[in-house]
Amino acid sequence: MRAVRAIATNTFREAVRDRILYLFIGFAVVMVVSSKLFGMLTVGDETKIIKDIGLAAMQFFSMLIAVMMSMILISREVDSRTVFNILAKPVRRWQFILGKYLGLVSIVAANLVLITVVLMLTVLVVAGELDLMLLFAGTMTMLEMMVLAAFATLFAVLTRPILGSLMTLAVFVVGHMSADLWLLTRQLPGAVTKAVISVVYYLLPNLERFNFRTEVVHDLSIPGAAVGWAVLYAAAFVVVVLFLANLRFRGKDLK
Amino acid sequence: MADIQLSVNDLQKTFHPGLFEASIEVLKGLSFEVARGEIFGFLGPNGAGKTTTIKAITEIIYPDAGEITVCGLPHTSLEAKKRIGFMSESPYIYRHLTGREYLWFGGELLGLDRAGLADRISRVLDQVGMSGRANRTMGTYSKGMLQRVALGQALLGEPELLILDEPMSGLDPVGRRDVRDIILNQAAAGVTVFFSTHIIPDVEMICDRVAIIVDGRVRAIGTVSELISDETTGYEATFVGALPADLRTPLEAYHVASGASWVRVTTENRDNLIHEFGDRGIQVVSLDPVRTTLEDLLMRHYEESGS
Repeated sequence: MRAVRAIATNTFREAVRDRILYLFIGFAVVMVVSSKLFGMLTVGDETKIIKDIGLAAMQFFSMLIAVMMSMILISREVDSRTVFNILAKPVRRWQFILGKYLGLVSIVAANLVLITVVLMLTVLVVAGELDLMLLFAGTMTMLEMMVLAAFATLFAVLTRPILGSLMTLAVFVVGHMSADLWLLTRQLPGAVTKAVISVVYYLLPNLERFNFRTEVVHDLSIPGAAVGWAVLYAAAFVVVVLFLANLRFRGKDLK
Repeated sequence: MADIQLSVNDLQKTFHPGLFEASIEVLKGLSFEVARGEIFGFLGPNGAGKTTTIKAITEIIYPDAGEITVCGLPHTSLEAKKRIGFMSESPYIYRHLTGREYLWFGGELLGLDRAGLADRISRVLDQVGMSGRANRTMGTYSKGMLQRVALGQALLGEPELLILDEPMSGLDPVGRRDVRDIILNQAAAGVTVFFSTHIIPDVEMICDRVAIIVDGRVRAIGTVSELISDETTGYEATFVGALPADLRTPLEAYHVASGASWVRVTTENRDNLIHEFGDRGIQVVSLDPVRTTLEDLLMRHYEESGS
């Protein structure tokens, strides 16, 4: 596991020394802090609006970081051929994939911790309330990003960076429309269309499983089973998608 | 040959670039062996298959057929890979890392003992002449510095087999001499060195044995002296004055300059040329035999292959 850790650490280090990461993080922090303005301009509970917008910003920017950084960090390693020196050493290809993935997940995690802390501080300053449920929401967003990062890793070894980014973005969008897709299959008349949509529904993750924003914002109770299932669901998707990424990368000639 | 460190047997590789593009057969049954402690040059023109062979040995690509062993072990085994030090053609580096961090990363991948790693890195940096610049990020390095650090990471694991892909390409004369010295020192310490190049003087200067690869096949293999015959293929005469336009002796080549000019003739025409120059009162400054060089040999194989 030392090689995996070394690759993950190098990936993390590369990201934190890249200006583009700070651009995303900067935007995210500005968005969270400026949610106070939205709260002032909107009718309703200001704190709830801050939390809602803050959590939405947390999810959106984490997604952007996961998509962009995975493409930059994995594709760049292959395109710039630095991967040659890694694979010529006693390192298996699955260790490379896992190391890159863990590095990527660490970057997203660091970003999420930062945004969560900023959001909690904003809520504390505005409402005088230390809402620990925001930590829970951040953790669930992290689970979602772990699934998304696994897909980004798969697409990074499967195709070119821009196409890979678009495909990961598509997984994010479709993943949040999964329930709607399922309802759509009931409305559509054609059996073939139904079958195609069903395949998409089962192949792609239902990312709404990780969305507890409403519960956190409105202080609703959260069923433990839903959380447990979300954890298992994320783990299963991460394992399967990384396995597929490894399968593709294992036999790949690097030029 | 005793104690083979690297054995490549009937290696074949065809690339399939795309659906509507023709396949490219790069390696066509390549075979050779490298013995322990020798400096083995892998000489060939661009596109001959040198880098593809090295990529196959280091498992960066997968051959279609053939067998590769490193120190008697299958080249894909981690045990074999631990014994290899590899430097790729035009070093691919991380611009965000310092030279020292890059070597540390390499040490971690090699699984080297952390306790002694810092000392080992300092030693290697000394060896490649980068101690003073090791704490700068590699994005600020010149090509020569990158080459040195890349060579450093190849030496870090104290490999038994050093594989260098075009190690001197793009270096200035000082850099080339330094890399040559490092290779010679490694060989003196018992390390087997396998390096690819298209720079013939490098091969002539340091290689114990050479394989000439053209069009995916080994065309000739042996020591430099074995490959280059002592046979004289012609003569070059340097003379003073103009070259007569009506010279009867057939010339292979000539060069006319304001001072001394030269002509090249076949061995059979040497005496005719001397007599004719004598008859015309042309003063011959020197007459030197022309022998087959490694370059001639490479060109001959290249032309024969029809590449």
